[in-house]
Amino acid sequence: MSELLESQRGFAAALRDAEASSRTSRWLAGDAALVARRLAIYRANMAASAAKALAAAYPVLQQVVGNEFFDGLARAYLRAWPSTCGNLYDYGGEFAAFLAELPHAQSLPYLPDLARLEWLVHRTYGAADAKPWDPAGLMAVAPELQHEIRFEWAAGTAVMNSTYPIAHIWTIHQPEYAGEFAVDWSVAERALVARAGLRVTVMALEVGDAAFFIAALAGGSLDDAATAALNADPAFDLGALLARAIASNLICGIATDKRD
Amino acid sequence: MALPLAAIGIGLRQPHYREVFETAPELGFVEVHSENFFLDGGASMHALERARAAYPVSLHGVGLSIGSADRLAEQHLAQLVRLVERIEPALVSEHLCWGAIDGLHFNDLLPLPSTYEALALVSERVDRVQNALGRHILIENVSAYVEYRDRELTETAFLAELARRSGCGILFDVNNLYVNAKNFGFDAYARLAELPASAIGQIHLAGHTEVDGCLIDTHGSRVCAEVWALYDAACRRYGPKPTLIEWDTDLPPLEVLLDEAGRVRSIAACAAEAAYV
Repeated sequence: MSELLESQRGFAAALRDAEASSRTSRWLAGDAALVARRLAIYRANMAASAAKALAAAYPVLQQVVGNEFFDGLARAYLRAWPSTCGNLYDYGGEFAAFLAELPHAQSLPYLPDLARLEWLVHRTYGAADAKPWDPAGLMAVAPELQHEIRFEWAAGTAVMNSTYPIAHIWTIHQPEYAGEFAVDWSVAERALVARAGLRVTVMALEVGDAAFFIAALAGGSLDDAATAALNADPAFDLGALLARAIASNLICGIATDKRD
Repeated sequence: MALPLAAIGIGLRQPHYREVFETAPELGFVEVHSENFFLDGGASMHALERARAAYPVSLHGVGLSIGSADRLAEQHLAQLVRLVERIEPALVSEHLCWGAIDGLHFNDLLPLPSTYEALALVSERVDRVQNALGRHILIENVSAYVEYRDRELTETAFLAELARRSGCGILFDVNNLYVNAKNFGFDAYARLAELPASAIGQIHLAGHTEVDGCLIDTHGSRVCAEVWALYDAACRRYGPKPTLIEWDTDLPPLEVLLDEAGRVRSIAACAAEAAYV
């Protein structure tokens, strides 16, 4: 093995675990105590960068649990899920799974769902800008083909189901929110995450609308999605949903050819 | 595409976007971290494109880990290629460092030993990056808090040789040289002679802090007097070079950055005048 590779493996072990600092002694100059103190600077830098990235992706969760508790979560998360990427925007994707396994987060059982929602928001932030689309295209589809229309959705559009009022929790923690802060914990919400221009929006969906989006976002045809929606909620109103989706620029195009 | 030699810039960070766009301060360029824009679209990309319409942009990478002994992060490089094609920056720079090994990333600029083994590796990597980008890049010296036993050449001599072998330019960070001189007890002024003026494509200036007898490169304060003095000496030796005020943590009001940029202007002007006396 090359000297350089071996030295980097030793350095890496010391960054992961202070106890392994002595593994660097073959390569790093100075007495052991000094090297250990200096390696601690790198360890602290690494933890601070990771915590900052995690806080950037999960700002609502940070508000909910408080900075101190969040910092503890960030340290534990880094140990459980170390960064694997040079771009910290990609760091933190396993936070919901991590929280679900965490015994002392059980008193706030909605945290994993909040993390799932915030990760969707985080990814949608950097999604491609929506291409303009003229809904007149919908009228041009022959009636016999309409049931097999597949919509092309604006990048970043996503839906998640929760047993908690997750969209409401997210909304009341936004800096510009000025409404009622009361939370009815008995409400289960389905959240639609989308981009409105450059801004990321989160809104609660009716059961039928959510079923429609989940089927349609997965590539289902208009017929498949509407069937799923009607199964979930016999009162589902396809026309109203399409009108809202079009008004919100969520649809970027349509296709009528069957997928293989 | 190249920047004028006397160009002075600042690091452009999100809290300053609005003020920079609205007041359009006189700047020769702005610099951003490349990785913050490895995105398909959205508000950050929109801001960068707006900045690009107003100023030449320098893309400064912090996550490529060019000196990782196991592999070059091809996917990371592909994202950089895409960003460079989209933004058409005036400068593209990376650090003389490593930050990842065996699939784990430390998201830090870790020092490399100044050995011929490391030089051979980094030269080959720079070559690959430059081929992928279809342009030359600048490589920056980093601050270090530990020192390798193996030192076959100085860091400055390493950079000079890297530039000679790969054709890359040097991004000379004056603060990083100063930090290392203090941390490891060498004469920073003596090292200036090791960098070839013709290879230096940009200069960085930033603040640092001292913790437990160790200088740490925090980019969170004004440039200190000793670093200004070293910059002055660098200007006299190398002639005018595009110079950047870098500030990443504890971001002050924009006017503080512009004030620091003004100081760069006066030192560079004095040095240029002295050169003709």
